[in-house]
Amino acid sequence: MLFLQLLINGLQTGAIYALTAAGFALIFGATRIFHFAHGTAFTLAGYAFLFAWRADWPGWAGVLVAVAAATLFGMAMERFVYRPIQRHEGSFFTVFVAAFGVGIVVQNLIGLFAGRGLATVDTPLSFGTEVLPEIFVAPILWIAIGTAAVLFAALTVFLTRSHAGVALRALAQNPDLIRTYGLSANGLSVLAFAIGSALAAPAAIITAMTSGLNEAIGHQVMLISIAATIVGGIGSLRGAALAGLMLGVAESLALQFVDTQWAEAVSFLVLFAFILFRPSGIFGVAAAR
Amino acid sequence: MIAYLSNLATQVAIFGILAATLNFILGYAGIFSIAHAVFFGLGAYAGAQIALLLVPDVVLACIVAAAIAGGLSLCLALPALRVRGEYFVAASLGLQMVAVTLFSELKPLTGGIGGLVGIPLPTLFGVPVGVLPVALAALALILLATALLARGSFGRTLTAIRDAESAAEALGKNVAAAKTLAVGFACAGAGVAGALYALHTSFVNVESFTMDYSVLMMAMVIIGGTGTLWGPLIGTVLLLSLPAALAFLPFLPATEVGAVQQIIIGLAMTLLMIFRPAGLVGDLSRGQTTA
Repeated sequence: MLFLQLLINGLQTGAIYALTAAGFALIFGATRIFHFAHGTAFTLAGYAFLFAWRADWPGWAGVLVAVAAATLFGMAMERFVYRPIQRHEGSFFTVFVAAFGVGIVVQNLIGLFAGRGLATVDTPLSFGTEVLPEIFVAPILWIAIGTAAVLFAALTVFLTRSHAGVALRALAQNPDLIRTYGLSANGLSVLAFAIGSALAAPAAIITAMTSGLNEAIGHQVMLISIAATIVGGIGSLRGAALAGLMLGVAESLALQFVDTQWAEAVSFLVLFAFILFRPSGIFGVAAAR
Repeated sequence: MIAYLSNLATQVAIFGILAATLNFILGYAGIFSIAHAVFFGLGAYAGAQIALLLVPDVVLACIVAAAIAGGLSLCLALPALRVRGEYFVAASLGLQMVAVTLFSELKPLTGGIGGLVGIPLPTLFGVPVGVLPVALAALALILLATALLARGSFGRTLTAIRDAESAAEALGKNVAAAKTLAVGFACAGAGVAGALYALHTSFVNVESFTMDYSVLMMAMVIIGGTGTLWGPLIGTVLLLSLPAALAFLPFLPATEVGAVQQIIIGLAMTLLMIFRPAGLVGDLSRGQTTA
């Protein structure tokens, strides 16, 4: 019975991981920018929702504010941090340090203004009811899985059917050709950041309602997103989402054998093993550099 | 005041060693490790245990710490041989996270969250000594070794690997051996810094070996200038005197000093990367060619 309960919890965590990882993978796939501040978009969205909730705004308004916060942050990062750096040099490490610096600033600003430590949103949605003997399921589980499924379906349709989506995939393959065709590579880049960051918002809201937020949660989110992207195979959105789901389930199932403080370590051991033995990931095509 | 200054000088020397050794793999070899605090921690625990169980001899503690940190540096060297760039940063972040869990859970070795307390005062061959002169000597040695290694054939091999790995390999350089050695040297140096830190503070716990400290060390190197000899040292002095400078601002409540300090470091990192990626000391034209 414990196994089933852990599996259910794992699916809920996995759905959240899958959403953030897919956003990260979308940004990296299209722009080749390793967006280390992706966790920061998640944190901002979560706290935006929290403030809206505490101000007694209706739920839909909170969701809108959260999505707007994440999207605007992503677009601002592209415009004011990544683009100026790439103009004079494209060193990966420069990009990484700059993004990391932003993450530190936002984390401490949130600590200053919103207070440090755990912050949660209590809703009736996160109260579990006993559906089977000793199995508790909260409505938020269905919301998490449903949101993830709907958003992935929408993303797939967008990337395969719409003009902008096809252009985004083209940007991933050949940015020079994009310019030749008269499309704006910069504009598409901003679009990738907007969509990718927006995907972090629902995950942040669900996290706020379940396990809660803290000002340093961005690090963990960013690490999980990176781990899922690498394990899934760089450039594969499906791989990242699937790997995110797997990592969530694996972390939860591992609780049957080890204490909770080791749960996070499980993800990193999986990542470490993949980097050592299969750096191209599950669905990866290109060899690791 | 003297005690305060001497404490600050010891801190500068210890973190100077950390920044100089991190700079060695980061600036010369292009191995972007965010797990330097792990090896700092390994050295600190090793040094503390030596002092607690055997003798608080500072040289012995440093040697054992260097051996343990250098030996376990294989954990970092292995992914460095397999992957580069983003992948390696991810691997080193993973190593950092797992190590923090290990440090807080392996209670017999590390004392868990509570840490190891009551580390005796250091001696040298039975004579009591202060940590400051030893730390300064170690810093001088490490800087000398870095300068010599960087100028010699080993350093040139490393820079060649950083700039074009396959070209270096084609010229008959043993890439795997060079990378492993570089990581081993840097991690052993971090281990020495750890042992000195344990003897200096006479108390160690996992708080000093978290990702925040890895990032602090990285910031020291980057703000000073990667791949330069003196840059990391200047970065260290700047970042370590920041808390003291902030203490002079009367309108700042004491509880928020840490957060403000972090914000300044973060801002400095981002703005430097946008406007002057080679760091304060670094040569701008060179910073642009090392991609």
